[in-house]
Amino acid sequence: MIKVQELTKIFRKPIRGKGLIGMISTLFSRKYTEIRAVDGVSFDIPEGEIVGYIGSNGAGKSTTIKMMCGILTPTSGKVFIGDKEPYLKRRVVAKDIGVVFGQKSQLWWDIPLVESFKVLKEIYQVSDEDYEERMSFLSSVLGIDEFMTQPVRTLSLGQRMRADLAASMLHNPKILFLDEPTIGMDVLVKEKIRTAIHALNAKYHTTIVLTTHDMADIENLCSRIIMIEKGKIIYDGPLRDIKRRFGNIKTLTLTVPPSVDPEKVKPFSDDVAMVLDKDNKDKVVLKFDADKVVLEHVVQYAFSQYQAIDMKIADISIEDVVKQILSQQEEEHEKAKKI
Amino acid sequence: MRYFKLYFTCIKRSMMSRLEYKRDSIISILSFLISNACSLCSIYFILQAIPSLKGYTPAEVGFFYGFSMLPIAIDHLFSDEFWLVAFRRVQLGDMDRHFLRPVPIIFQMFAETFQPDGFGEVIVGITMIVICGLNLQVAVSFGAILVLSIGAIFGAIIITSFKIAISSLAFIFKRSGPLLQIIYNFTIYAKYPIAIYPYAIRFILIFILPFGLFISLPVDTLLYGSYNPYLLSLAIIGAAVVFFTLATFIWTLCARRYESTGS
Repeated sequence: MIKVQELTKIFRKPIRGKGLIGMISTLFSRKYTEIRAVDGVSFDIPEGEIVGYIGSNGAGKSTTIKMMCGILTPTSGKVFIGDKEPYLKRRVVAKDIGVVFGQKSQLWWDIPLVESFKVLKEIYQVSDEDYEERMSFLSSVLGIDEFMTQPVRTLSLGQRMRADLAASMLHNPKILFLDEPTIGMDVLVKEKIRTAIHALNAKYHTTIVLTTHDMADIENLCSRIIMIEKGKIIYDGPLRDIKRRFGNIKTLTLTVPPSVDPEKVKPFSDDVAMVLDKDNKDKVVLKFDADKVVLEHVVQYAFSQYQAIDMKIADISIEDVVKQILSQQEEEHEKAKKI
Repeated sequence: MRYFKLYFTCIKRSMMSRLEYKRDSIISILSFLISNACSLCSIYFILQAIPSLKGYTPAEVGFFYGFSMLPIAIDHLFSDEFWLVAFRRVQLGDMDRHFLRPVPIIFQMFAETFQPDGFGEVIVGITMIVICGLNLQVAVSFGAILVLSIGAIFGAIIITSFKIAISSLAFIFKRSGPLLQIIYNFTIYAKYPIAIYPYAIRFILIFILPFGLFISLPVDTLLYGSYNPYLLSLAIIGAAVVFFTLATFIWTLCARRYESTGS
């Protein structure tokens, strides 16, 4: 369904001096830096799959997505949506894709939502029957009925995102690109959006590519992840493998009273790593694999031995995973060199 | 046909946006009436003050001025969005959604705003033509009416073409508003009979920025029978076709360089 071959996007930026004088001298200089936002990326995505396209901020996710949907033209390499290249056959490809950018709404700001939908219906030439059928399905999974007659500018972030999702599905695209669909939302709204994405995928067999910073999004939605860092793919495979490689890592951040010296506390076991923060003497971080160690036991241990006054449990973050993959790859690289 | 229907749907949308804010709508209707009344008054006072301009009587100058408002007003009605493209929208990365829709981007720009202020300018322009025309006791002929209508309509297309071409440079420079402003301001020169200018400027106003071609020459034809109205009509249509084709071509080339913004 989607084929990406050696995709590269280079942005040329003039080298800027500092401050006002520097900026003025920039006007007369011809020096440029090249930023390789996306650098030789290749992958295939079959029909009906939900793929998580993840990486830290500025890794090149959005740039790739924008090339896949025809907003940006690649510097080199190719993208095929079906068998067409989106930046060459923009209008043909546009009928097959739906796009939601978490940060930019596609709806018209100051007219009622339902009017936006009517305009989109005309733009995408959706027939009356299809429109009725899809609207009733979309409003049942996304619950947009309650604010259909409100102008878009009065919607909350969660409502607007649900409206944007519905708008992008109105023409029943074969592929849906979601760029940070849950950004800035509370847990309940995130859950609603995830359920809706699942329902869309199940009903219309839509291929979905989503970028996110939320590990829970990935675990709930994606069967496969593609991980990108500094414009290059560092991992492409099933989510299971990542989990097997890194385990079900959790971090427990404790606040301990001054009377306790964490270094003198006997460690729980070899499976639990303790990280101390030099600047915050009262903070202790315990890192462990929740598949090997029972969470409850660690928590009890933290209360009894460290006399913790407060604690926070967190899943491993995408940034951590990226860091670990990179350091692992470096190690492998070093080993290969020695051999 | 499909695009006509789509255009009207979008224009309805644009009008709804304008009417969404009640007080804003009332203020803009009032300011529209006031600004048009002011422009009529100021033109009247200026014409009163000029005894003659290189042999042209005030009524003749008024006729040129009034006619020049028509193509500018028609362009104003339909293509106001390109100003935003040149000044803001590309720079803010606000063009993304238009790249995602299965409709030509230029068409979407036309359909994004309809600027009813242009109607006022049409009315002011026609009023001036009628008053000055009666004053001059112009002999109306079919050919002259034809060449004036062609000049107004296809002249608007030429102005729009310049707007399209120059605003599309924003895809490369991020902002091309100031340049567009400069080019657009050349229409001011075309408000007067081009015979008052030195040859170099006349040449520019006919062949390079051809505002004189569709404003001054048709009026010369009506008032003094200077040119063959049918040949002149053909020339104007030809120029419009060439400039519009060129403009869409430049737009397509430049749009490939669109960089959006980070998110």
